[in-house]
Amino acid sequence: MHEYSIVGALVDQVERVAIEHRGAIVRRVHVQIGEYAGVELALLRTAFETFRAQTVCALADLVIDAVPGDDMTLARVEMEVPDV
Amino acid sequence: MCEDCGCGDTELVSVEVHERILAGNDKLAAHLREHFVEAGVLAINLMGSPGAGKTAVLEQTAKALGGRLRLGAVSGDLATDRDGARLRAAGIQASTITTGSACHLDAKLVHDALHHVKWRDLDMFFIENVGNLVCPAIYDLGQAANVVALSVTEGEDKPLKYPVMFRRADLVLLTKIDLLPHLDVDVAAIRDAIARVMPEPRIIAVSGKTGQGIGEWLAWLEARRP
Repeated sequence: MHEYSIVGALVDQVERVAIEHRGAIVRRVHVQIGEYAGVELALLRTAFETFRAQTVCALADLVIDAVPGDDMTLARVEMEVPDV
Repeated sequence: MCEDCGCGDTELVSVEVHERILAGNDKLAAHLREHFVEAGVLAINLMGSPGAGKTAVLEQTAKALGGRLRLGAVSGDLATDRDGARLRAAGIQASTITTGSACHLDAKLVHDALHHVKWRDLDMFFIENVGNLVCPAIYDLGQAANVVALSVTEGEDKPLKYPVMFRRADLVLLTKIDLLPHLDVDVAAIRDAIARVMPEPRIIAVSGKTGQGIGEWLAWLEARRP
């Protein structure tokens, strides 16, 4: 069950992106998960839902794009940015 | 406009990232790999189910080398130092990483463990991963090669059931072949299953008990030394 450790890494990544872009609230996190990435998508969703509380992803949905290959990437982050 | 509530106050900004989720681990693994190569140490990530015979293969490896090369290891287990103690008794400089509940080793755990091993003086360094055919496969540890130990008692279809592990293997050690006379197992079927999931199938049959096949395994290792 390494999905929790993957989500931990993912949330850290999203947090970095959010800080860089002065994002206030992350709404959607898009990931691409390869068929042979060794990640169970249902477990990944559960892990994300459990882990996101009290993180920058607390109000974010995880959008999973299943792709060929064995890579897994954070593709895109959608967030609300405060008016400057 | 905010798509969720229609309040119109905030706009959603979309940021393209396209970075591997385990980029942090990859970075540390690359750092380890650089150090291993620079110091002339062959690092092997040895994976396989619990009880596949990983420790026994390393014991036989040390025995066959008879001190000709300096061997080191870190072994990952949820609890106990049993494998570490066995490896040290075999003459391998070994340290244990007890992971608690983690099902795999990652680059940071290996990096931290290196502080307890004089790894720069070694010729070969074995990272004996946590016994598990799933999770360890996806973490780069800075190794030169991934080796999967698969025992003949595990059944012919294991490679098909756990394809990710075998897809990433550079070598499969088919272990416990001394047991074959007592088993109703078809080695050709195991080889066939491996060939279906491993891009470039390479299999060495060994026995950690009799030492059979260990010479071929040593030759494979020698050929990969930096």
